[in-house]
Amino acid sequence: MNLPALGADLCVKCNICTAACPVAAATDLFLGPKAVGPQAARFRHPRLPLPDSSLTWCSGCGTCSRVCPHGVAVAEINIQAKARLAEEGRVPLRDHLISRPDLLGRLGTRLAPAANLALRLRPARWMIEKVMGIHRRAPLPAFARRTFRRRARARCVDQPPPPDEAHARTVAYFHGCGTNYYEPALGELAARILEMLGCRVVVPRQGCCGLPLQSNGLFEAARGYARYNLKWLSPFAHAGIPIVGTSTSCTLSLKHDYRAILGLDGEAAEDVAEGTYDIFEYMTLLLPEALDRLELLPVRARALYHAPCQLRAHGIGTPALEVLRRIPGLRLTVSESECCGVAGTYGLKREKYWVAHAVGAGLLEQVRSADLDFVITDSETCRWWISGHAGVPAHHPVEIVARSLEII
Amino acid sequence: MRDLLIVGAGLTGLFSAALAARRGVRVALIAEGRGSLELSHGCIDVSGGLSPHLVVQQSRADHPYSLAGLENLEAAIREFRSLMQSAGLPYSGDLGRALRLPTALGTEHATSLAPAPLAAGDQARGGPLTYADLIGFRDFHAGLAAAEMASLGAPVGEPLHLPLLDAPAHRDSYATDLARLFDDARRREEIARAWKPQMRGVRRLALPAVIGLDRSHEAFADLEKRLGVPICEIPTLPPSVPGLRLEGALRRIAVEAGAWLLEGARAVGRVDGRSGGRRVSGVVAHTPGGPRQLDAAAVILATGGVLHGGLVARQNGLVQESVFDLPVTFRGEREGWTSPSALSPQPYARYGLTVSADMRPIGAHGEPLFENLFAAGGILAGADRAAEGSRQGIDLATAHRALEAAGA
Repeated sequence: MNLPALGADLCVKCNICTAACPVAAATDLFLGPKAVGPQAARFRHPRLPLPDSSLTWCSGCGTCSRVCPHGVAVAEINIQAKARLAEEGRVPLRDHLISRPDLLGRLGTRLAPAANLALRLRPARWMIEKVMGIHRRAPLPAFARRTFRRRARARCVDQPPPPDEAHARTVAYFHGCGTNYYEPALGELAARILEMLGCRVVVPRQGCCGLPLQSNGLFEAARGYARYNLKWLSPFAHAGIPIVGTSTSCTLSLKHDYRAILGLDGEAAEDVAEGTYDIFEYMTLLLPEALDRLELLPVRARALYHAPCQLRAHGIGTPALEVLRRIPGLRLTVSESECCGVAGTYGLKREKYWVAHAVGAGLLEQVRSADLDFVITDSETCRWWISGHAGVPAHHPVEIVARSLEII
Repeated sequence: MRDLLIVGAGLTGLFSAALAARRGVRVALIAEGRGSLELSHGCIDVSGGLSPHLVVQQSRADHPYSLAGLENLEAAIREFRSLMQSAGLPYSGDLGRALRLPTALGTEHATSLAPAPLAAGDQARGGPLTYADLIGFRDFHAGLAAAEMASLGAPVGEPLHLPLLDAPAHRDSYATDLARLFDDARRREEIARAWKPQMRGVRRLALPAVIGLDRSHEAFADLEKRLGVPICEIPTLPPSVPGLRLEGALRRIAVEAGAWLLEGARAVGRVDGRSGGRRVSGVVAHTPGGPRQLDAAAVILATGGVLHGGLVARQNGLVQESVFDLPVTFRGEREGWTSPSALSPQPYARYGLTVSADMRPIGAHGEPLFENLFAAGGILAGADRAAEGSRQGIDLATAHRALEAAGA
């Protein structure tokens, strides 16, 4: 497979990426995005061993690509180099397991009460750390008893539905594993808010987006999921039905990673990429009038909004913040941290946990010291990480808008 | 629909966004990556040490200073100082007298405003300067700077070599690594204790500009107190800590005041077809997912000059503006674009947009190209900012004028 060219030659070594990199700031074991990216790329010969292993410290947050003023896809260069490490067989069994949230989810939801209880027991976590290499203090979410798909069975479709007189727009909801197995209520609220904005909401057939596999360098397995999603989602995109998601990392995969990292191209990949939206991006850009008509009631609370690294990588700014700012009574502060630290599965790993913790230390300190009612952030892994460490509830912006609309 | 869209995240763009947002304007800023503030010394150069009043009065009619006029320069400087004061990053100096600051090469940098820790190095404050380098930090050499300074006849003390505790052991230190060390109160205390014995006989200590990043004001005051001698900072190679502090402060002000910052997307200009081509309607943001349409009542181009992405040289030998493909004033033949010596004034530096007195790009007959498109900063024709020492003065003065003209 021909992987896309990523512009290493455009790098002028300005170090803007190094200055922004949250991992380089947390540990000198990581040489920094420029050094392991465009710089080391010159030494990565297809038939020679990789030049360094500092690369494994990269968390894949994507900050470097976003801040580069010269169009170098620094993070993409790094993740492709990680995939070569994986090809050389340097991926532990643990990474194969934690990068399949759908398998874990299917198992976990069936055993929910027992599995959740077990995950709360310190000896069990100690065992899991010893056997599996998942850090005992890394917060893990509780499995839902019923998946989102089961709760939303009436919305599930395999094919784009024919146009419907009653609705000006139909949207296809991409729930991702986080909503399906852990936070099914979030998906229901998202659907209800979209309905209040005049949309018909259907749930197409879908699998894990594949991002966890991809960020662990397991490209072939990730492509398997990607192809499955493209197969089932592209008819919707092709029919002009936008694919709207609440998980910023899943939507980033559909928008960007399938093409730019996994090297899947063609019409299906293109249609899905350009037809996928973060839910607040969709509302603010395409439903501005309907949004203006929403009657938002006061939510009297103090909150910190944190834009996840994976949302920032969309290059769309912070659309949720635009909507949250309309809610009367909500006193918002905005986090300046590039990343909370966990970056998907990175912070769960026994040997990486302390780095992830150091990356997020500033944010956690801000949360603990600010006397907040809750934290608002768009990504599920950020929510679990922040609330698990700071002891403050963390919500998806959809939940806060739902509160303001009094639908919860 | 936004009142104002700014393209570019350098000093011009961020200052405009911060000021507009503080004034209650619904403003968005889009940038492909982070701007060149991270490569800059963080000072406000207005007139290369000459009298700003004389420089503005004597500028050619097409020079940005002539267009903006002294009143905009003065007002912009006032606004800038007050923004920085409110952000806890106070600037010293004014348009009345130039500060003469020592550089890392032992030369003198004449500037108008400087962050307080840099301004403390002003030659007028008197007393011999003792340069100190930090052992293991390769971007700053006290011996080199002191020898050069002495050869210019300035009084210098014997250079010092100060130890660093906890400096990165696995790679070279970046200025940002050290700055983060100094943000930490406990480490700062240990470092000050280790340095204190070497302060005997030191009248003024010149350190590389690494004393704190996020809490620099507090870090600088605390270190000075603990060492018991006046200290000053000298900017180093990129990533430049004073530049990062300034950029961070402006971004924070803009976001807190409600500006929408879109980072990591390339802007392509859109003309409003319904206006008969007389108005622009915003930009298309080329995000990692796909194109997104952003609407605005007015647009300010703050994309910088030829080294910063605002101008592009096309294959056919044309130089054009990069967002709206506007015509650019330049010399025909490539051979004439540069001077034989890299250190002489450069013809290409004067290339840029020709604008009217209200900062609207104009065509060959002096007519505005679009009613609601404005330009400010390094993209303007008619100035060799590096040779004149006028870079930041032009940025602020023209940004101030453009905001006023755009009704913000």
